[in-house]
Amino acid sequence: MAQQTQVFVPQPDRPPPPDTSGPLAWIRRNLFRDIPNTLMTFVGAYIIFTVVTAIVNWALIDAVWQAETRRECLDAVGRAGACWPGVAAWFENLIYGLYPKDQVWRINLGFLALVVWMVPLWLPKVASKIAIGLSAVMLYPFLASYFFLGGEKGIIWTALIAAGLAGLIWVWATALTEMRTGKPVGTWLVARLGQADTDEILQRRIKQGAALALFAMAFLMVTQISFEEVRTRFWGGLFLTLVISGIGITFSLPAGILLALGRRSKMPVISTLCTLFIELFRSVPLITILFMFNTMLPLFMPAGTEVNQLVRAIVAVCLFAAAYMAEVIRGGLQAIPSGQYEAAKSLGMNYWQTTSQVVLPQALKIMIPTIVGNFIGLFKDTTLVSIIGLFDLMNMARAVGEDTDWLGLFIEPFFVVTLIYFVFCFAMSSYSINLEKKLAAGRDRT
Amino acid sequence: MTQPSRMIEIVNLNKWFDQFHVLKDINLTVRDGEKFVICGPSGSGKSTLIRCINQLEHHQEGSIIVDGLEVEKKGKNQRLIRSRIGMVFQSFNLFPHLTVLENCTLTPILGLHMPRAEAEETAMLHLARVGIAEQAKKYPLQLSGGQQQRVAIARALTVKPKIMLFDEPTSALDPEMIKEVLNVIVELAADGMTMICVTHEMGFAREVADKVIFMDQGEIVEADAPEAFFANPTYDRSAAFLSHIL
Repeated sequence: MAQQTQVFVPQPDRPPPPDTSGPLAWIRRNLFRDIPNTLMTFVGAYIIFTVVTAIVNWALIDAVWQAETRRECLDAVGRAGACWPGVAAWFENLIYGLYPKDQVWRINLGFLALVVWMVPLWLPKVASKIAIGLSAVMLYPFLASYFFLGGEKGIIWTALIAAGLAGLIWVWATALTEMRTGKPVGTWLVARLGQADTDEILQRRIKQGAALALFAMAFLMVTQISFEEVRTRFWGGLFLTLVISGIGITFSLPAGILLALGRRSKMPVISTLCTLFIELFRSVPLITILFMFNTMLPLFMPAGTEVNQLVRAIVAVCLFAAAYMAEVIRGGLQAIPSGQYEAAKSLGMNYWQTTSQVVLPQALKIMIPTIVGNFIGLFKDTTLVSIIGLFDLMNMARAVGEDTDWLGLFIEPFFVVTLIYFVFCFAMSSYSINLEKKLAAGRDRT
Repeated sequence: MTQPSRMIEIVNLNKWFDQFHVLKDINLTVRDGEKFVICGPSGSGKSTLIRCINQLEHHQEGSIIVDGLEVEKKGKNQRLIRSRIGMVFQSFNLFPHLTVLENCTLTPILGLHMPRAEAEETAMLHLARVGIAEQAKKYPLQLSGGQQQRVAIARALTVKPKIMLFDEPTSALDPEMIKEVLNVIVELAADGMTMICVTHEMGFAREVADKVIFMDQGEIVEADAPEAFFANPTYDRSAAFLSHIL
């Protein structure tokens, strides 16, 4: 006899038992689970309390805020409280180094230009984010270097600065038209001229013409501006730290990608050269490389040519960072299963298509925490340039205690420098976590 | 009546992995519109054979001619041949960082220089054909295995292949999903696509295949029409294999 099948009814979901979720349950479970656990909580709380009160007492309550010299601070509170007037007197040097005071606005404007350049990256509805990011990397440096350096500019130099300025204008024009109409500025212009349906060649001509006009305008504007020259030996402080690490970071990523791809290349010459470069620079401390570039490089250069000391330091930092970045990227490349390459091959994609569309986007995404970790490491490693006599933020802080008025004042400036480093590194770290979350789509089942 | 043209012609194919002789004197001809099923124990060289056809593996001896083009290790022919062959893998190999739709438009836009709108339109047609158009905006890992494999089939179809190669397309799937993938392949076969399918789904072989090929230790042991192959295999080896999987 055939048995009658029954209808399967799944059970409804029930809530979890009480006392296992919510903040109260969390506190009970983690802080007051049993007697030893509770004891540890109190001991921990006591330690935190002592440390925090000690710091607050030193930095705020017992601190001296008005003084002309360190002597006055010591007479007032001894070593019990911080002596902030010394840091305040040197604060501008900590940030800008020995940059002439009446020219400091150029640094501010230069960094403001970078912020303005990057803002569209965070605006919704802006589609050309990759182009904007690339333009910032490729064109902004020309603009910034003139702001910072100033001085005589030849025709080529002027053209490069103009390209930077034109890039900035293009970024905002595109950001605005994309937010209002969803089209990049070139396409928008073509549509405004009523040429949206004409053939592609004419449209391209219009875009090229507009780009040329923009460039010419920027060129004219640049020829009208002239800044007095500020030699790089006056550069210093946080400004110098940001310049060196900024260039190092921007250079290390693309260079690291190329080196990593080169090391994995099937062509033996390329692969050997890349491996040699990576291993050489990774096996030598950054200090040694800085020394090498600073003292030995001029010996190899033809007589009469002089390479700026800052440039030598930056080149050393860039090469060092690229070698490290290459190994990070290589780790990411190795995590990509061979099936991805096979699928791309079977679809007829070539090496560069596979690399740029399939492999790198995945490899970089996996390695974001390590890449940003490297950036943070590089940012802190730039303190080593003080060894070859550059006055970066760290070296500037040391200089405070060598000033006759503030002789021996070391703890306070280092405390401030610590805070500055923390703010920058923590910001990078938070941004990377944020980026990871944003890119997590597709990796998780949701 | 003239016979349909030869799509794939393999003559005296030999391949070694280092010292290991994986493929031994393989001879095989697939005509336009024919469907071959390759079966055999693991390690018998089935996957290697079809991977040689679009040069994911390179052979050392013999020749493979696809649609009139000699398969070479390098050069122009390789890309031409790959663009005429669609391949579906056991582990799907979808690009996890791209949506389903982007997976299907990537090569048409990059390789065939199709405008994006047109590429998306054709991709949607293929996705609709495998019954998955409503998932186009999702990422591959948000789909079930069967759905992912159907996307992989649609993606392979976007390069407008003349031949489809399937490398154990259902082996990584839950039993409930095997059917939905096989149905798609059966429909494709009904449309006249030339295909070679490595699979152990014997019901599917019976239904679709013009010829079943049994491989063992790098050799083609038997090649016969499914009825004949299943009813009375010529060799004891094939008989033993069939008794295990049927």
